[in-house]
Amino acid sequence: MEVRFKLNGKEEEVTTEPYLRLIDLLRDYFNLTGTKEGCGVGECGACTVLINGRAVNSCLVLAGQIEGSEILTIEGLANGEILDPLQKNFLLHGAIQCGFCTPGMVLSASALLDKNPDPTEEEIKDAIAGNLCRCTGYKQIINAVKETAKEINSASKPF
Amino acid sequence: MIPSLEILIPKSLNEALSILAEQNNGSKIIAGGTDVVPGLQQGSNRFANSDLLIDINRIPEIKSITRTREKISIGGAETFSNILQNQIVQEELPLLWKACSTIGSVQIRNRATIAGNFVNNAPCADTVPALLVYNATVEIESLNSKKEISIGEFLTGPYKTKLNKDEIVTRINVSIPSKEYEGEFYKLGRRRAVAVSRITLAVLTKTQNHMIDEIRIASGAVTPIGIRFFDLEKFAKGKKIEDQFLKELSKMLGEQIIQVTGLRWSSEYKLPVVQQMFYQLLKGIERGSL
Ligand SMILES: Cc1cc2nc3c(=O)[nH]c(=O)nc-3n(C[C@H](O)[C@H](O)[C@H](O)COP(=O)(O)OP(=O)(O)OC[C@H]3O[C@@H](n4cnc5c(N)ncnc54)[C@H](O)[C@@H]3O)c2cc1C
Ligand code: FES
Ligand code: FES
Repeated sequence: MEVRFKLNGKEEEVTTEPYLRLIDLLRDYFNLTGTKEGCGVGECGACTVLINGRAVNSCLVLAGQIEGSEILTIEGLANGEILDPLQKNFLLHGAIQCGFCTPGMVLSASALLDKNPDPTEEEIKDAIAGNLCRCTGYKQIINAVKETAKEINSASKPF
Repeated sequence: MIPSLEILIPKSLNEALSILAEQNNGSKIIAGGTDVVPGLQQGSNRFANSDLLIDINRIPEIKSITRTREKISIGGAETFSNILQNQIVQEELPLLWKACSTIGSVQIRNRATIAGNFVNNAPCADTVPALLVYNATVEIESLNSKKEISIGEFLTGPYKTKLNKDEIVTRINVSIPSKEYEGEFYKLGRRRAVAVSRITLAVLTKTQNHMIDEIRIASGAVTPIGIRFFDLEKFAKGKKIEDQFLKELSKMLGEQIIQVTGLRWSSEYKLPVVQQMFYQLLKGIERGSL
Protein backbone atom coordinates (compact mmCIF):
# COMPACT_ATOMS: atom_id res chain seq x y z
CA MET A 1 0.00 0.00 0.00
CA GLU A 2 1.00 3.64 -0.49
CA VAL A 3 1.74 5.56 2.66
CA ARG A 4 2.42 9.29 2.84
CA PHE A 5 3.86 10.88 5.93
CA LYS A 6 6.39 13.42 7.09
CA LEU A 7 9.71 12.01 8.25
CA ASN A 8 12.19 14.27 10.00
CA GLY A 9 10.58 17.27 8.37
CA LYS A 10 10.47 15.86 4.85
CA GLU A 11 7.38 14.62 2.97
CA GLU A 12 7.77 10.95 2.08
CA GLU A 13 5.72 8.54 0.05
CA VAL A 14 6.47 4.83 0.20
CA THR A 15 4.99 1.63 -1.06
CA THR A 16 5.08 -0.85 1.77
CA GLU A 17 3.36 -3.86 3.23
CA PRO A 18 0.84 -2.42 5.70
CA TYR A 19 1.79 -4.96 8.35
CA LEU A 20 5.45 -3.95 8.40
CA ARG A 21 6.34 -2.53 11.80
CA LEU A 22 7.29 1.14 11.81
CA ILE A 23 10.69 0.25 13.29
CA ASP A 24 11.43 -2.00 10.30
CA LEU A 25 10.26 0.63 7.84
CA LEU A 26 12.57 3.18 9.43
CA ARG A 27 15.60 0.92 9.72
CA ASP A 28 15.35 -1.20 6.59
CA TYR A 29 13.71 1.12 4.08
CA PHE A 30 14.97 4.52 5.21
CA ASN A 31 18.23 3.27 6.71
CA LEU A 32 17.57 5.25 9.87
CA THR A 33 19.34 2.82 12.16
CA GLY A 34 19.45 5.18 15.14
CA THR A 35 16.11 3.65 16.10
CA LYS A 36 17.06 0.46 17.98
CA GLU A 37 15.23 -2.76 18.63
CA GLY A 38 15.66 -4.15 22.13
CA CYS A 39 12.68 -6.19 23.21
CA GLY A 40 10.23 -5.85 20.33
CA VAL A 41 7.28 -5.85 22.74
CA GLY A 42 7.03 -2.32 24.09
CA GLU A 43 9.04 -2.75 27.24
CA CYS A 44 12.50 -1.26 26.66
CA GLY A 45 11.90 1.98 24.73
CA ALA A 46 15.00 1.59 22.53
CA CYS A 47 12.71 1.96 19.50
CA THR A 48 11.13 5.22 20.68
CA VAL A 49 10.26 7.78 17.98
CA LEU A 50 7.97 10.79 18.11
CA ILE A 51 4.69 10.65 16.23
CA ASN A 52 3.02 14.05 16.10
CA GLY A 53 5.25 15.12 18.97
CA ARG A 54 4.48 12.18 21.23
CA ALA A 55 6.89 9.43 22.22
CA VAL A 56 5.77 6.00 21.04
CA ASN A 57 7.32 2.56 20.68
CA SER A 58 7.90 2.08 16.95
CA CYS A 59 7.88 -1.70 17.47
CA LEU A 60 4.17 -1.47 18.32
CA VAL A 61 3.07 0.66 15.34
CA LEU A 62 2.38 -0.73 11.89
CA ALA A 63 3.31 1.05 8.68
CA GLY A 64 -0.32 0.97 7.55
CA GLN A 65 -1.28 3.18 10.51
CA ILE A 66 0.99 6.16 9.94
CA GLU A 67 -0.62 7.85 6.92
CA GLY A 68 -0.52 11.61 7.38
CA SER A 69 1.57 11.50 10.56
CA GLU A 70 4.69 13.47 11.39
CA ILE A 71 7.50 11.25 12.55
CA LEU A 72 10.71 12.33 14.17
CA THR A 73 13.61 9.92 14.67
CA ILE A 74 16.89 10.66 16.42
CA GLU A 75 18.42 11.49 13.03
CA GLY A 76 16.04 14.43 12.70
CA LEU A 77 16.77 16.03 16.02
CA ALA A 78 20.07 17.79 15.38
CA ASN A 79 20.06 21.00 13.37
CA GLY A 80 22.48 20.02 10.61
CA GLU A 81 25.88 19.75 12.24
CA ILE A 82 24.70 21.44 15.42
CA LEU A 83 23.60 18.98 18.07
CA ASP A 84 20.34 19.46 19.89
CA PRO A 85 21.02 20.78 23.42
CA LEU A 86 19.84 17.44 24.81
CA GLN A 87 22.34 15.54 22.68
CA LYS A 88 25.11 17.90 23.73
CA ASN A 89 24.25 17.53 27.39
CA PHE A 90 23.98 13.74 27.21
CA LEU A 91 27.57 13.77 25.96
CA LEU A 92 28.74 16.31 28.53
CA HIS A 93 27.17 14.59 31.52
CA GLY A 94 28.27 11.04 30.82
CA ALA A 95 24.69 9.99 30.12
CA ILE A 96 25.88 7.70 27.34
CA GLN A 97 27.84 4.52 27.84
CA CYS A 98 27.09 1.82 25.28
CA GLY A 99 24.61 4.17 23.63
CA PHE A 100 21.97 1.60 22.80
CA CYS A 101 19.25 3.28 24.84
CA THR A 102 20.35 6.81 23.96
CA PRO A 103 18.29 7.61 20.84
CA GLY A 104 15.07 6.55 22.56
CA MET A 105 16.05 8.20 25.81
CA VAL A 106 16.86 11.52 24.10
CA LEU A 107 13.58 11.49 22.16
CA SER A 108 11.52 10.76 25.29
CA ALA A 109 13.27 13.65 27.03
CA SER A 110 12.77 15.87 24.00
CA ALA A 111 9.02 15.20 23.94
CA LEU A 112 8.90 16.05 27.64
CA LEU A 113 10.77 19.35 27.32
CA ASP A 114 8.65 20.37 24.34
CA LYS A 115 5.51 20.42 26.41
CA ASN A 116 7.03 20.98 29.84
CA PRO A 117 10.25 23.04 29.64
CA ASP A 118 10.69 23.12 33.41
CA PRO A 119 10.04 19.58 34.65
CA THR A 120 10.54 18.32 38.20
CA GLU A 121 12.78 15.33 38.80
CA GLU A 122 9.67 13.17 39.22
CA GLU A 123 8.36 14.34 35.86
CA ILE A 124 11.69 13.54 34.22
CA LYS A 125 11.68 10.08 35.77
CA ASP A 126 8.15 9.47 34.58
CA ALA A 127 8.98 10.62 31.05
CA ILE A 128 11.88 8.16 30.75
CA ALA A 129 10.38 5.33 32.79
CA GLY A 130 9.65 3.48 29.55
CA ASN A 131 13.30 3.69 28.45
CA LEU A 132 15.53 1.08 30.01
CA CYS A 133 19.25 1.66 30.38
CA ARG A 134 21.43 -1.15 31.64
CA CYS A 135 24.61 0.93 31.82
CA THR A 136 24.29 4.34 33.40
CA GLY A 137 22.02 3.93 36.39
CA TYR A 138 19.91 6.86 35.08
CA LYS A 139 21.43 9.53 37.31
CA GLN A 140 23.57 11.06 34.60
CA ILE A 141 20.65 10.94 32.20
CA ILE A 142 18.42 12.82 34.61
CA ASN A 143 21.17 15.37 35.15
CA ALA A 144 21.56 15.89 31.41
CA VAL A 145 17.83 16.54 31.06
CA LYS A 146 17.82 18.93 34.02
CA GLU A 147 20.79 20.82 32.62
CA THR A 148 19.07 21.15 29.24
CA ALA A 149 15.92 22.46 30.89
CA LYS A 150 18.02 25.05 32.72
CA GLU A 151 19.62 26.18 29.47
CA ILE A 152 16.29 26.45 27.70
CA ASN A 153 14.83 28.48 30.54
CA SER A 154 17.72 30.87 30.88
CA ALA A 155 17.74 31.39 27.11
CA SER A 156 14.07 32.30 27.11
CA LYS A 157 14.47 34.55 30.15
CA PRO A 158 17.52 36.69 29.35
CA PHE A 159 17.32 38.82 32.51
CA MET B 1 6.74 -11.97 12.42
CA ILE B 2 3.50 -10.14 11.85
CA PRO B 3 1.32 -12.19 9.49
CA SER B 4 0.35 -10.53 6.24
CA LEU B 5 -2.79 -8.47 6.58
CA GLU B 6 -4.51 -5.35 5.29
CA ILE B 7 -5.13 -2.21 7.31
CA LEU B 8 -8.03 0.20 6.81
CA ILE B 9 -8.35 3.57 8.50
CA PRO B 10 -12.03 4.62 8.52
CA LYS B 11 -12.70 8.31 9.17
CA SER B 12 -16.16 8.01 10.66
CA LEU B 13 -17.99 5.65 12.96
CA ASN B 14 -20.45 4.74 10.24
CA GLU B 15 -17.65 3.82 7.86
CA ALA B 16 -15.98 1.65 10.50
CA LEU B 17 -19.24 -0.11 11.39
CA SER B 18 -19.98 -0.73 7.70
CA ILE B 19 -16.61 -2.38 7.23
CA LEU B 20 -17.20 -4.54 10.30
CA ALA B 21 -20.68 -5.46 9.07
CA GLU B 22 -19.40 -6.52 5.67
CA GLN B 23 -16.46 -8.61 6.65
CA ASN B 24 -16.43 -9.72 10.16
CA ASN B 25 -14.55 -12.95 9.75
CA GLY B 26 -10.88 -12.17 9.72
CA SER B 27 -11.25 -8.56 10.71
CA LYS B 28 -9.99 -7.18 13.98
CA ILE B 29 -10.16 -3.72 15.48
CA ILE B 30 -6.84 -2.08 16.28
CA ALA B 31 -6.70 1.02 18.49
CA GLY B 32 -3.39 1.64 20.29
CA GLY B 33 -2.18 -1.76 19.17
CA THR B 34 -0.34 -2.31 22.45
CA ASP B 35 -2.10 -5.64 22.94
CA VAL B 36 -2.80 -6.44 19.28
CA VAL B 37 0.71 -5.94 17.87
CA PRO B 38 2.55 -8.05 20.47
CA GLY B 39 -0.27 -10.60 20.13
CA LEU B 40 0.17 -10.81 16.35
CA GLN B 41 3.92 -10.85 16.72
CA GLN B 42 3.83 -13.73 19.17
CA GLY B 43 1.28 -15.68 17.11
CA SER B 44 -1.27 -15.61 19.95
CA ASN B 45 -4.31 -17.63 18.94
CA ARG B 46 -6.58 -14.78 19.99
CA PHE B 47 -5.38 -12.97 16.89
CA ALA B 48 -4.90 -15.98 14.60
CA ASN B 49 -6.67 -15.80 11.23
CA SER B 50 -6.77 -12.03 11.23
CA ASP B 51 -6.39 -10.69 7.72
CA LEU B 52 -7.75 -7.18 8.17
CA LEU B 53 -7.05 -4.63 10.85
CA ILE B 54 -9.45 -1.74 11.23
CA ASP B 55 -7.61 1.21 12.76
CA ILE B 56 -10.14 3.21 14.79
CA ASN B 57 -7.84 6.02 15.89
CA ARG B 58 -9.21 8.66 13.52
CA ILE B 59 -12.89 8.47 14.32
CA PRO B 60 -13.94 11.68 16.09
CA GLU B 61 -17.16 10.16 17.49
CA ILE B 62 -15.26 7.70 19.66
CA LYS B 63 -12.68 10.15 20.93
CA SER B 64 -13.23 13.16 23.20
CA ILE B 65 -14.28 13.41 26.81
CA THR B 66 -17.51 15.20 27.60
CA ARG B 67 -19.29 16.15 30.77
CA THR B 68 -22.91 16.85 31.42
CA ARG B 69 -24.30 17.73 34.83
CA GLU B 70 -24.49 14.20 36.06
CA LYS B 71 -22.31 12.20 33.71
CA ILE B 72 -18.81 11.94 32.25
CA SER B 73 -18.49 10.23 28.89
CA ILE B 74 -15.13 9.03 27.60
CA GLY B 75 -14.64 8.00 23.98
CA GLY B 76 -13.62 4.34 23.66
CA ALA B 77 -10.62 5.22 21.49
CA GLU B 78 -9.34 7.89 23.85
CA THR B 79 -5.72 7.33 24.88
CA PHE B 80 -4.60 7.17 28.47
CA SER B 81 -2.40 10.23 27.92
CA ASN B 82 -5.41 12.28 26.86
CA ILE B 83 -7.52 10.97 29.73
CA LEU B 84 -4.75 11.91 32.18
CA GLN B 85 -4.65 15.42 30.80
CA ASN B 86 -8.34 15.85 31.43
CA GLN B 87 -9.02 17.81 34.56
CA ILE B 88 -12.63 16.70 34.88
CA VAL B 89 -11.58 13.06 35.05
CA GLN B 90 -8.86 13.88 37.53
CA GLU B 91 -11.25 15.74 39.83
CA GLU B 92 -14.43 13.71 39.51
CA LEU B 93 -13.11 10.20 38.89
CA PRO B 94 -9.82 10.14 40.80
CA LEU B 95 -9.65 6.34 41.03
CA LEU B 96 -9.92 5.96 37.26
CA TRP B 97 -7.39 8.73 36.77
CA LYS B 98 -4.97 7.04 39.10
CA ALA B 99 -5.48 3.65 37.45
CA CYS B 100 -4.71 5.19 34.04
CA SER B 101 -1.60 6.87 35.42
CA THR B 102 -0.13 3.55 36.51
CA ILE B 103 -0.42 1.93 33.09
CA GLY B 104 2.77 1.05 31.21
CA SER B 105 5.01 3.97 30.30
CA VAL B 106 4.54 7.31 28.57
CA GLN B 107 5.06 5.56 25.22
CA ILE B 108 2.38 2.99 26.03
CA ARG B 109 -0.05 5.58 27.41
CA ASN B 110 0.38 7.74 24.30
CA ARG B 111 -1.05 4.89 22.19
CA ALA B 112 -3.07 2.62 24.47
CA THR B 113 -6.80 3.31 24.74
CA ILE B 114 -9.34 2.79 27.49
CA ALA B 115 -11.67 0.50 25.51
CA GLY B 116 -8.67 -1.50 24.30
CA ASN B 117 -7.81 -2.15 27.91
CA PHE B 118 -11.06 -3.74 29.01
CA VAL B 119 -12.02 -5.28 25.66
CA ASN B 120 -8.74 -7.17 25.83
CA ASN B 121 -9.79 -7.92 29.44
CA ALA B 122 -6.57 -9.41 30.69
CA PRO B 123 -6.80 -10.33 34.39
CA CYS B 124 -4.48 -7.40 35.00
CA ALA B 125 -6.37 -4.78 32.97
CA ASP B 126 -5.93 -1.85 35.32
CA THR B 127 -8.93 0.25 34.39
CA VAL B 128 -11.36 -2.53 35.28
CA PRO B 129 -11.47 -2.32 39.11
CA ALA B 130 -11.89 1.46 38.92
CA LEU B 131 -14.62 1.26 36.27
CA LEU B 132 -16.37 -1.40 38.35
CA VAL B 133 -16.57 0.68 41.52
CA TYR B 134 -17.81 3.68 39.53
CA ASN B 135 -20.60 1.52 38.06
CA ALA B 136 -19.48 2.52 34.58
CA THR B 137 -21.54 1.58 31.56
CA VAL B 138 -20.31 0.73 28.10
CA GLU B 139 -21.91 1.99 24.89
CA ILE B 140 -21.68 -0.49 22.06
CA GLU B 141 -22.67 0.05 18.45
CA SER B 142 -22.99 -2.04 15.34
CA LEU B 143 -24.35 -0.83 12.03
CA ASN B 144 -27.89 -1.69 13.07
CA SER B 145 -27.90 -1.59 16.82
CA LYS B 146 -26.88 0.44 19.78
CA LYS B 147 -26.88 -0.62 23.41
CA GLU B 148 -25.49 0.34 26.77
CA ILE B 149 -24.64 -2.23 29.43
CA SER B 150 -22.80 -2.20 32.73
CA ILE B 151 -19.10 -2.91 32.67
CA GLY B 152 -19.58 -5.85 35.03
CA GLU B 153 -22.02 -7.46 32.63
CA PHE B 154 -19.82 -6.70 29.62
CA LEU B 155 -16.79 -8.55 31.00
CA THR B 156 -17.45 -12.27 30.94
CA GLY B 157 -14.11 -13.99 31.53
CA PRO B 158 -10.37 -13.70 31.08
CA TYR B 159 -9.87 -12.18 27.60
CA LYS B 160 -13.60 -12.52 27.01
CA THR B 161 -16.40 -9.98 26.74
CA LYS B 162 -19.92 -9.70 25.37
CA LEU B 163 -18.63 -7.82 22.29
CA ASN B 164 -19.79 -9.21 18.95
CA LYS B 165 -17.48 -9.22 15.96
CA ASP B 166 -19.38 -6.43 14.19
CA GLU B 167 -19.45 -4.10 17.21
CA ILE B 168 -17.35 -1.21 18.50
CA VAL B 169 -17.20 0.11 22.04
CA THR B 170 -17.97 3.73 21.32
CA ARG B 171 -18.08 5.29 24.79
CA ILE B 172 -17.65 4.63 28.47
CA ASN B 173 -20.09 6.51 30.69
CA VAL B 174 -19.84 7.19 34.39
CA SER B 175 -22.30 8.98 36.63
CA ILE B 176 -20.38 11.53 38.64
CA PRO B 177 -20.30 10.35 42.24
CA SER B 178 -21.48 12.90 44.77
CA LYS B 179 -18.84 14.62 46.87
CA GLU B 180 -19.57 12.35 49.82
CA TYR B 181 -17.83 9.47 48.10
CA GLU B 182 -14.20 8.84 48.85
CA GLY B 183 -12.01 6.14 47.55
CA GLU B 184 -8.65 4.85 46.59
CA PHE B 185 -7.08 2.78 43.83
CA TYR B 186 -4.01 0.77 44.64
CA LYS B 187 -1.73 -1.23 42.42
CA LEU B 188 1.15 -3.37 43.49
CA GLY B 189 3.35 -4.02 40.48
CA ARG B 190 6.69 -5.50 39.75
CA ARG B 191 8.40 -2.39 38.54
CA ARG B 192 7.58 1.29 38.43
CA ALA B 193 6.73 1.40 34.77
CA VAL B 194 5.70 -1.36 32.42
CA ALA B 195 4.55 -3.58 35.23
CA VAL B 196 1.80 -5.89 34.21
CA SER B 197 0.04 -5.44 37.49
CA ARG B 198 0.11 -8.17 40.06
CA ILE B 199 -2.51 -6.89 42.48
CA THR B 200 -5.00 -4.08 42.11
CA LEU B 201 -7.77 -2.93 44.40
CA ALA B 202 -10.32 -0.18 44.14
CA VAL B 203 -12.52 0.94 47.02
CA LEU B 204 -15.18 3.63 47.03
CA THR B 205 -17.08 4.51 50.21
CA LYS B 206 -19.71 6.81 51.52
CA THR B 207 -19.66 7.22 55.26
CA GLN B 208 -21.87 9.00 57.74
CA ASN B 209 -21.37 9.43 61.49
CA HIS B 210 -18.60 6.83 61.56
CA MET B 211 -20.84 4.35 59.76
CA ILE B 212 -20.44 2.80 56.36
CA ASP B 213 -23.34 4.05 54.31
CA GLU B 214 -22.13 2.38 51.16
CA ILE B 215 -18.95 0.64 50.13
CA ARG B 216 -17.91 -0.68 46.71
CA ILE B 217 -14.95 -3.01 46.45
CA ALA B 218 -13.27 -4.37 43.32
CA SER B 219 -10.09 -6.27 42.61
CA GLY B 220 -8.02 -7.04 39.56
CA ALA B 221 -5.11 -9.34 38.75
CA VAL B 222 -5.59 -11.48 41.87
CA THR B 223 -8.89 -12.68 40.48
CA PRO B 224 -9.27 -14.21 36.97
CA ILE B 225 -10.88 -10.95 35.87
CA GLY B 226 -11.63 -7.74 37.71
CA ILE B 227 -14.73 -8.26 39.89
CA ARG B 228 -16.88 -6.59 42.51
CA PHE B 229 -17.42 -8.17 45.92
CA PHE B 230 -21.13 -7.60 46.37
CA ASP B 231 -21.54 -9.94 49.37
CA LEU B 232 -18.85 -8.15 51.25
CA GLU B 233 -20.32 -4.78 50.34
CA LYS B 234 -23.72 -5.81 51.69
CA PHE B 235 -22.17 -7.17 54.84
CA ALA B 236 -20.30 -3.92 55.50
CA LYS B 237 -23.24 -1.64 54.92
CA GLY B 238 -24.39 0.09 58.09
CA LYS B 239 -21.43 -1.15 60.14
CA LYS B 240 -19.45 1.10 62.40
CA ILE B 241 -15.97 2.07 61.18
CA GLU B 242 -13.60 0.71 63.78
CA ASP B 243 -10.29 -1.01 63.55
CA GLN B 244 -11.59 -4.42 64.59
CA PHE B 245 -14.24 -4.35 61.87
CA LEU B 246 -11.85 -3.18 59.17
CA LYS B 247 -9.56 -6.10 60.06
CA GLU B 248 -12.45 -8.50 59.86
CA LEU B 249 -13.50 -7.10 56.49
CA SER B 250 -9.96 -7.50 55.16
CA LYS B 251 -9.87 -11.10 56.30
CA MET B 252 -13.18 -11.76 54.60
CA LEU B 253 -11.90 -10.27 51.34
CA GLY B 254 -9.10 -12.83 51.38
CA GLU B 255 -11.59 -15.65 51.90
CA GLN B 256 -13.76 -14.38 49.05
CA ILE B 257 -10.76 -14.28 46.75
CA ILE B 258 -9.96 -17.89 47.58
CA GLN B 259 -13.55 -18.74 46.73
CA VAL B 260 -13.48 -17.15 43.27
CA THR B 261 -10.00 -18.28 42.34
CA GLY B 262 -10.13 -21.75 43.85
CA LEU B 263 -6.63 -21.14 45.18
CA ARG B 264 -4.05 -20.62 42.53
CA TRP B 265 -0.33 -21.11 43.04
CA SER B 266 0.17 -17.41 43.38
CA SER B 267 -2.57 -16.97 45.95
CA GLU B 268 -0.49 -18.09 48.83
CA TYR B 269 1.85 -15.17 48.69
CA LYS B 270 -0.66 -12.75 47.28
CA LEU B 271 -3.35 -13.29 49.84
CA PRO B 272 -1.72 -11.74 52.91
CA VAL B 273 -0.57 -8.90 50.69
CA VAL B 274 -4.08 -8.24 49.41
CA GLN B 275 -5.50 -8.31 52.91
CA GLN B 276 -2.86 -5.93 54.18
CA MET B 277 -3.34 -3.63 51.17
CA PHE B 278 -7.08 -3.58 51.61
CA TYR B 279 -6.75 -2.88 55.31
CA GLN B 280 -4.39 0.03 54.59
CA LEU B 281 -6.83 1.41 52.01
CA LEU B 282 -9.67 1.26 54.50
CA LYS B 283 -7.53 2.90 57.17
CA GLY B 284 -6.65 5.65 54.74
CA ILE B 285 -10.28 6.24 53.96
CA GLU B 286 -11.09 6.11 57.67
CA ARG B 287 -8.50 8.79 58.36
CA GLY B 288 -9.84 10.95 55.58
CA SER B 289 -13.44 10.71 56.69
CA LEU B 290 -13.16 11.03 60.45
C1 LIG C 1 4.92 -2.75 27.63
C2 LIG C 1 3.47 -2.84 27.98
C3 LIG C 1 3.04 -2.47 29.25
C4 LIG C 1 1.70 -2.54 29.60
N1 LIG C 1 1.33 -2.18 30.86
C5 LIG C 1 0.03 -2.27 31.21
C6 LIG C 1 -0.39 -1.92 32.53
O1 LIG C 1 0.41 -1.49 33.35
N2 LIG C 1 -1.70 -2.06 32.84
C7 LIG C 1 -2.62 -2.51 31.95
O2 LIG C 1 -3.78 -2.60 32.28
N3 LIG C 1 -2.25 -2.85 30.70
C8 LIG C 1 -0.95 -2.74 30.31
N4 LIG C 1 -0.58 -3.10 29.04
C9 LIG C 1 -1.58 -3.64 28.11
C10 LIG C 1 -2.17 -2.64 27.12
O3 LIG C 1 -1.34 -1.52 26.94
C11 LIG C 1 -3.55 -2.12 27.55
O4 LIG C 1 -4.41 -3.22 27.75
C12 LIG C 1 -4.15 -1.14 26.56
O5 LIG C 1 -5.13 -0.39 27.21
C13 LIG C 1 -4.75 -1.76 25.33
O6 LIG C 1 -5.30 -0.72 24.53
P1 LIG C 1 -4.96 -0.57 22.98
O7 LIG C 1 -5.69 0.61 22.49
O8 LIG C 1 -3.51 -0.60 22.75
O9 LIG C 1 -5.61 -1.91 22.44
P2 LIG C 1 -5.36 -2.73 21.11
O10 LIG C 1 -4.14 -3.54 21.26
O11 LIG C 1 -5.47 -1.86 19.92
O12 LIG C 1 -6.65 -3.66 21.19
C14 LIG C 1 -6.87 -4.57 22.26
C15 LIG C 1 -8.15 -5.37 22.01
O13 LIG C 1 -9.30 -4.55 22.11
C16 LIG C 1 -10.03 -4.48 20.89
N5 LIG C 1 -10.51 -3.10 20.80
C17 LIG C 1 -9.75 -1.98 20.98
N6 LIG C 1 -10.54 -0.88 20.97
C18 LIG C 1 -11.81 -1.30 20.78
C19 LIG C 1 -13.09 -0.63 20.69
N7 LIG C 1 -13.21 0.70 20.84
N8 LIG C 1 -14.19 -1.39 20.51
C20 LIG C 1 -14.09 -2.73 20.39
N9 LIG C 1 -12.93 -3.42 20.48
C21 LIG C 1 -11.80 -2.71 20.67
C22 LIG C 1 -9.06 -4.95 19.83
O14 LIG C 1 -9.72 -5.55 18.75
C23 LIG C 1 -8.23 -5.96 20.61
O15 LIG C 1 -8.91 -7.18 20.71
C24 LIG C 1 0.75 -3.01 28.66
C25 LIG C 1 1.18 -3.36 27.37
C26 LIG C 1 2.51 -3.26 27.02
C27 LIG C 1 2.94 -3.64 25.63
S1 FES D 1 12.01 -2.59 20.96
FE1 FES D 1 10.25 -1.41 21.09
S2 FES D 1 10.05 -1.16 23.20
FE2 FES D 1 11.70 -2.54 23.10
S1 FES E 1 23.98 3.51 27.81
FE1 FES E 1 23.95 1.39 27.56
S2 FES E 1 21.84 0.95 27.75
FE2 FES E 1 21.91 3.01 28.27
